[in-house]
Amino acid sequence: MITQSANIQEQLRTLREFTAIINSTLDLHDLMNIVMERAKSELGAEACSILFYNPQTNKLEFEVAICDDEDTCEILKKKIEIEVGQGIAGWVALHKEPLYIEDVSKDERFYSGVDKTTGFVTRAIIAVPLIGRTGLIGVAEIINPTMKNYDKDIFLNLCKQFAIAIENALLYKESLEREKIRQQIEIASQIQKSFLPSDSRFEKGDFLISATNIPAYTVGGDLYDFVDYPNSKGGVFIGDISGKGVSAALYMAKLISDFRHISVSHKKLTHVMSSLNALIMKAPMGMFLTAIYIVFDSKNGRINYINAGHPPFVLVRTTGDVKVIDDISGPPLGIIDYEYKRSSMILNKGDRLYLLTDGVIDMVDMKGKNLGYDKITDFFVKNHALKDLFGGFLAFIEDFGKGQQRNDDITVVEIMRR
Amino acid sequence: MKITTEDIPKGKLIMISGEIDMHTSPALRDVLMKLTKKKVTPIIVDLLEVSYMDSSAIATFVEALKNMMSYKGSLRLCNLSQRVSEIFTFAKLNKIFEIYKTREDALKNC
Repeated sequence: MITQSANIQEQLRTLREFTAIINSTLDLHDLMNIVMERAKSELGAEACSILFYNPQTNKLEFEVAICDDEDTCEILKKKIEIEVGQGIAGWVALHKEPLYIEDVSKDERFYSGVDKTTGFVTRAIIAVPLIGRTGLIGVAEIINPTMKNYDKDIFLNLCKQFAIAIENALLYKESLEREKIRQQIEIASQIQKSFLPSDSRFEKGDFLISATNIPAYTVGGDLYDFVDYPNSKGGVFIGDISGKGVSAALYMAKLISDFRHISVSHKKLTHVMSSLNALIMKAPMGMFLTAIYIVFDSKNGRINYINAGHPPFVLVRTTGDVKVIDDISGPPLGIIDYEYKRSSMILNKGDRLYLLTDGVIDMVDMKGKNLGYDKITDFFVKNHALKDLFGGFLAFIEDFGKGQQRNDDITVVEIMRR
Repeated sequence: MKITTEDIPKGKLIMISGEIDMHTSPALRDVLMKLTKKKVTPIIVDLLEVSYMDSSAIATFVEALKNMMSYKGSLRLCNLSQRVSEIFTFAKLNKIFEIYKTREDALKNC
C-alpha cells in the first residue's frame, strides 16, 4: 500500500515537472526535444519520436527523433514518411487512440519498414495521438520502454498538455514568420512609394495637379506620374494594374520606369500609349493596365487625352456643370494591338478634372452600397465652389467608406487650371 | 470559388461559381492553362453563378485568350452579371472577348 502510494506520489511529481517544462518555452524545437528526452529517460526507453501530420499529403512525417544512435535519428528525420493507417503510428493517427504494445512481433499493425531502413530493432512501443484544439497534430512514440508500471491516465493527461503546448508553439512560430513577412512588405511599401512622384503636387503655368494614393494591402498596383515637358506642356498619368498585392506592386515599379522613359522619348500622345501597350503585352500572367494619359498645354488650357480601358474621369466646371467624360479610346494596355485615338477638350480657368481608380468608384458604405459615379457627381455639383475641393472630395470618400474594409487601392488626381 | 468542367461536342465548358479574385484566380488559371496547352477550342466559360470578379480574374482570361490566339482558339464568356458586363463594356473588353448572353448562344456551332 505504502509502495503504491509512493509510486503515485512519484508520478504526480513527474507530472508537475513535465507541466513546468511544457510551460517553460514557446520554442517548438526546444519544447519537443526537452519533453521527449525526459519521457525517454522516465520510461527507460531506447528511443522516442514525434511524427507530424501533414494534411496536404495525409501522411505522417518524422519531426523529432531521439535515440542513442545519431545516424538512425538523421535517417528518420530526412527520409521517412508514413501513410495514415500504416503501421502503429498510422493506426493511432487514423483512430486517434493510444496504443501500448509490449511485443510488436505479435501485432499485425506493426510496420517493419522503418526498422529495415534504420537498422533499429523495435520490440515494444507506446504510441499516443497528439490532438490539439484544431485536430490531429501528430503522433508521439516511445520505443522499447523498460518501465511498465506507469499510470496511463497521468501519461495521457500529460500528452494532452503536450499537444496543446506544441500547438501554441506552432502558432507562435507562425506569428513570428508573419511578423517577418509584415516587416518585409513594409520595406517593399516604402520602396514602392519611392517610385511615385516625390512631390504629390505638380505646377506648370496656371495648372496645378494634386494627387493621393492609398494602397489597400500596404503595397498596391495603382500608379500616377507627372511629366514636365520642356515647353508649356505637362503630362499626367494615372493607371491601375490588374491584380493586387506584391505582384501588382512589382510590376507597377517596372511600368512607372518604362513610362518615364517612353513619355519623354515620344512626342505624340498616341505613340506613348501604343509603346506602353506593346511593352505590357509582354507582361506575365495576362497582366494589363487600365490608364489615362493627359497632356495639357498651360498656354491655352488645351487637354489632349487617351483613356485605355480606365474608369472615366470627371470634369467639374467652375460654373458648377459636372460631366463624366466617358469616351474610352480603347481596351486596357497590354491585351491586344490597338490604335488608340486621342480626344481633346479645353479647360477654362477654375475648371478641374478628377482622375480616379476603380478603388474609389467601387467603394462601399456601411449599408453595402457602392459609391459610383452618381454620388460622385452629386458631391461635385453641391460642392464645386469649395476652395479646397480636392481636400473636400478626399474627406467625402473617406467618410463614405468609414468602417468598411477596403479591398482595392485608391488613387485620386486633380488637375486644376487656376 | 468552385470550378466544374464538362466535355462538349467540340471543346470544353467551364462552369464557375462564387468569387473570382486574387486568391481564387490561380485555381482558374490552372484549369485554363491545362486546356490551352492542349490547344482546346472553343473554351466556353459560364459565369452565371459568379457573384464577384476582380481584375485578377480578367487577367486570367486575358492570359488564356493570348495563349489561344497562337492556335486561333475561341474563348467564349457567357452569363455575365450586370456589373461585370458593365466593366467589360466600358473598358472595351467586350470587343476583345467573345461574349454571349446565354450558354445556349455560346454553345452554338460547337
